[in-house]
Amino acid sequence: MALFTLQDISVAYNKQNILKDFNLEIEKGKLVSLLGPSGCGKTTTLRLIAGFLKANEGKFLFKDKDYTKVPVNKRNFGFVFQNYALFPHLSIFDNIAFGLRLRKNSKAEIEKKVMNVLEIVNLKGFEKRYPQELSGGQKQRVAIARALVIEPDILLFDEPLSNLDANLRVNMRVEIRRIQQELGITTVYVSHDQEECFSISDQVAIMNKGVIEQLSDPATIYKYPETKFVADFIGFKNFIDFDERTDTGGKIELSKSGYSFVLDKDARMFNHAGKIGAIRPDDLLIREKGDAGAVQENSLSGRVKVSTYLGRSYQYVVETPIGDFIVNKEMTESYRMGQEIILEIPRNQMVLVD
Amino acid sequence: MKKRYLYLLLLPGLLFLTVFMIIPIFLTIGTTFINDHGFSIQGYLDFFKDRYFVEILLTTLRVSLFTTILCILLGFPAAYYISKLKQRKKAIMLLLTIFPLLTSPVVRSFSWMVIIGKNGVVNKVLLSIGLIEKPLDILYTPTAIIIGLVHLFLPLIIVTLVGVMENIETDLLKAAESLGASRLAVFSKVVIPLSVPGLVIGSILVFVGSFTAYTTPALLGGKQRVISTFLYQNAITLNEWQVASIVATIMIAVTVLIISIMNGLAKKLNPKG
Repeated sequence: MALFTLQDISVAYNKQNILKDFNLEIEKGKLVSLLGPSGCGKTTTLRLIAGFLKANEGKFLFKDKDYTKVPVNKRNFGFVFQNYALFPHLSIFDNIAFGLRLRKNSKAEIEKKVMNVLEIVNLKGFEKRYPQELSGGQKQRVAIARALVIEPDILLFDEPLSNLDANLRVNMRVEIRRIQQELGITTVYVSHDQEECFSISDQVAIMNKGVIEQLSDPATIYKYPETKFVADFIGFKNFIDFDERTDTGGKIELSKSGYSFVLDKDARMFNHAGKIGAIRPDDLLIREKGDAGAVQENSLSGRVKVSTYLGRSYQYVVETPIGDFIVNKEMTESYRMGQEIILEIPRNQMVLVD
Repeated sequence: MKKRYLYLLLLPGLLFLTVFMIIPIFLTIGTTFINDHGFSIQGYLDFFKDRYFVEILLTTLRVSLFTTILCILLGFPAAYYISKLKQRKKAIMLLLTIFPLLTSPVVRSFSWMVIIGKNGVVNKVLLSIGLIEKPLDILYTPTAIIIGLVHLFLPLIIVTLVGVMENIETDLLKAAESLGASRLAVFSKVVIPLSVPGLVIGSILVFVGSFTAYTTPALLGGKQRVISTFLYQNAITLNEWQVASIVATIMIAVTVLIISIMNGLAKKLNPKG
């Protein structure tokens, strides 16, 4: 059952729609990420859930109660900001105790809860310090502790790691996931970093222009993107807009400008009528012209247009009669620029998207 | 230019201040400790035994204190409102705020005379609606001085506070709200503590300004003396330069004392601000 639901939400700013007829359901105890490029509406969605922002239309239901008009301070949701937003005039202890004091907890209770949460975020012994004396990672831990200590019904993260350096980011996201699972707290996490979202989420919602393009578990999105936008966002760099698609028993036949291709149908979990083929640069195969092992099926003759050394692999731009393809290949020596080659699309590596 | 010669740039200003301010101040202070028999603090002792003078000193302190408190009470909410406005509106509001500073204190004081005088607007209105039976004595009282000084110094404290409040991150206010703080709690637990630096600077400006103000108390105070008008009277009217110098020295001492007390207070209120 859904813990909370956004129903037909519309948000407009300066007469421009940021969200339009937006729907989202989140289950109790899950960590759901909102992922997308800047301007896709992910932060707007988060602020809407927090109550910082009012929707022009639509409803926000929490535990089946209408929360649309409930003010921020009555919602009991924890919010973790990108820039930490710690109170500079308060010690770490007082920062964390802020929400408890407003809830009129007794002194002993506050002491106990603050110490407990400091242990959860591994910051014991820091209670007398001030925010200015802490590193970025420590500040973010305090921010998380401050949000956790009020025992929120939902925890909201707004790009919490984007101000930290790369190593710390990886550590912190493991930490966030650990805490979230330990406490079983329902969490919405906003980020533009794909790896970050995929590594910590139960479900990822990929957003574009105020709409969720796909909401699934990370593995499903990674393997089976449903739309061209999602595919492109997660690294399917090659697209073929097919003219025709014919489904026959176990396979799908496709054609483009007279060239025909075959895909294994049973490898696809999804079941929609997309006609755009998407394939990752790593999954395409290049063969030398006249190679004895070359298969005729799903192959195109092409020419290496650009060759770029990437360190672990080479990246080629291959020119073919139906357009350019980007191909990554791990190998010791490269194909020359201008070399004629055969490009093969393996029959179980391409996905079809809308 | 080499860095060590950069201090030369300070010289003209420093020279000017030394000749026309620092040396005269020390000369003034020096003369107060000398009488016919050499070094003496008899002048000060006589002073603090004189009820009339002590009364004037206390009145001046009281007037300055009330002016400061009123300026804070009136200025704080206004400053918060202005700090929340968009850039364009903020500029307009700030311009309106400092507008009173652009008129002469003399003109301003005369207009207050018209408003709060015996036959002024305030008394006429109150009489006509029957709230009072005879005109209130507002003009030529400490109250009149306070009204004039608040009018004079309110812009100062507002501008100082807006500067500090603008720099409070809105995410801090949102964070407080998300932790359960009502609008009022956000204001008292986040906005006010973080405004302390501006509050201290603003209060010092207002207090010291009120303590040393001359024109406004001279015009609105009537026979009611404050320390600066008392000094003027001794120096110009009575030609008592020794007394005037002692008064000046006391003013400097009180000013320095007030500033250090307020700074100490600020440190206590905001240890890491």
